[in-house]
Amino acid sequence: MYLVSRRDGAGDEAGWFPYVLMAPALITLVVVALVPFLYTAYLSLHEMQYARVGNWAGFANYARLLTNARFWHSVGISAAFIAVAVPLEFGLGLLGALVLNQGVRCRSIIVPVLFVPSMMAPIVVAILWKIMLAGSWGLLSYNLLERFGILTGLSIFASPALALLALILIDVWQWTPFVMLALFAGLQSLPLMPYRAAAVDGATPLQTFRRLTLPLLAPLMAVIVLLRLIDAFKIFDTIFLLTAGGPGQATESLSLFTYKTVFDFWDLGTATATAVVIWVMFFLFSNAFYQVVKRKLRAF
Amino acid sequence: MPMSVRERAARRRQLLFTLLAAAGALAVVFPVLWMALMMFKPEAVMFARPPVWRFPPTLEHFDYVIEHGFVWNLLASLFVAVASTVLVVVVGTPAAYAFARFPIRRRDDLLLFVLATRMAPPVALVIPFYLIYARVGLLDTYVGLVVAYLSFNLSFYVWVLWSFCRELPVELEEAARADGYPRAHVLVRVVLPLLRPGIIATAVLCFIFAWNEFLYAFLLGGKTIETLPVAVPKLITSQGVKWGELSIVGIVALMPVLVVVFLLQRHIVRGLTMGAVKG
Repeated sequence: MYLVSRRDGAGDEAGWFPYVLMAPALITLVVVALVPFLYTAYLSLHEMQYARVGNWAGFANYARLLTNARFWHSVGISAAFIAVAVPLEFGLGLLGALVLNQGVRCRSIIVPVLFVPSMMAPIVVAILWKIMLAGSWGLLSYNLLERFGILTGLSIFASPALALLALILIDVWQWTPFVMLALFAGLQSLPLMPYRAAAVDGATPLQTFRRLTLPLLAPLMAVIVLLRLIDAFKIFDTIFLLTAGGPGQATESLSLFTYKTVFDFWDLGTATATAVVIWVMFFLFSNAFYQVVKRKLRAF
Repeated sequence: MPMSVRERAARRRQLLFTLLAAAGALAVVFPVLWMALMMFKPEAVMFARPPVWRFPPTLEHFDYVIEHGFVWNLLASLFVAVASTVLVVVVGTPAAYAFARFPIRRRDDLLLFVLATRMAPPVALVIPFYLIYARVGLLDTYVGLVVAYLSFNLSFYVWVLWSFCRELPVELEEAARADGYPRAHVLVRVVLPLLRPGIIATAVLCFIFAWNEFLYAFLLGGKTIETLPVAVPKLITSQGVKWGELSIVGIVALMPVLVVVFLLQRHIVRGLTMGAVKG
């Protein structure tokens, strides 16, 4: 019995070996993630004068945060950003994936090109679109905004009405191809048999899509929407580089608010409380992602 | 043999879909091409209205970029990205393997911890990093920046490489074990060679993430360590924005991405979906 159990399933009787393998990585992650988090939580419960830790404050910093109009404004901006960007990216991405799945030619060129925006540095995205939409001479700002009189004599990033929309469209430009390719990869890995059966039964393409593709692809769709929600919610770099949250507070997302509270206003009480709130939210997001990948997608 | 009507319709449909997909790819490429053109555009026609496509090309922007020491920024970027990637591979590979192969106590909790570390927004993490670094003197140091990059890259690496490890066949390891080799030996001689494609793909993605990173470099690298992304504001001068130079930096920053996209395309989907899609 003993010999048998040793040989099957490499996992049995491994003793301390796996823990030795994991220790360096887990200790590092504790140092670079858990310790900073606990430190932030500790600071958020104290009165802060700049970087000096004052008296125990209980939840005073949190109470101040929750009555801070600017905080709620930034939450609204983030919510608006997500509410427009993510459905657009998903809808267009799904259409694109269905198109790609129709035996498109030159795929070996088209697919890598579509990967470019999602791997691109935020700084490159910012430079690209600063150039495309620069003042009145940028390629797009001249040919679209100026010529049709939508916006004249002003950069779109300085326009209170249009700056957020511009940032959203840039995000759509950057992330729709990723959604498209991820869903395309999902479509490619679907089992063939149900489709053969559907074809034999004479199902129309629309019926096949609604009755087969959608339910089969649903778990993957949930994963991708969650990922996009998470990423769109924490977007910082592109906004910081293109508008810095302005004009006024027109594009001040939650990330920008957090940044400014620390590095512009040095209000560390509010900032650490915000960071903890964001952290808790992201932990819940991560947990949702984990559960969907594990139970619905059965990836592990 | 003449084509049947159905065949011709199928051909036409395929052509239509190819054109649609190509249009999407063009929407991606177009701004990049326009930026590439700006690298050679003389100041005289830079602000022409309507924007011009044809002009006598100039290399003056390249002179400026070289004279102002952007090569050093490039080297700083390369160094930080390579150092953090090497560290991640060394520390992360055994952990990813352990998660895949052995029954670990509280495995779900540990994995969730790794994932949550990856998902955490940098803007929340950079605050404690900044305060702690200011206190222990790690601000403006390479060590500080490389360690900070571990927070998102190590968790990413462990999580994604774990998905590669799950696909390894266990039989070879069992055979080596049955021959009496110790577990550490099996890991180095049997597992690592099999895992090499996964390690390379995941490590390259880590390199790109470090290469692209802006916020940590901006705040923790400060004045002394200017990676390429952080050097960009130098081009927004009191005399106005240096558009040609900005484009050069943009294109250089884009280079590794262009290489990776063509070499690794299958693995990018896996990486960006955190291993949820095999690609």
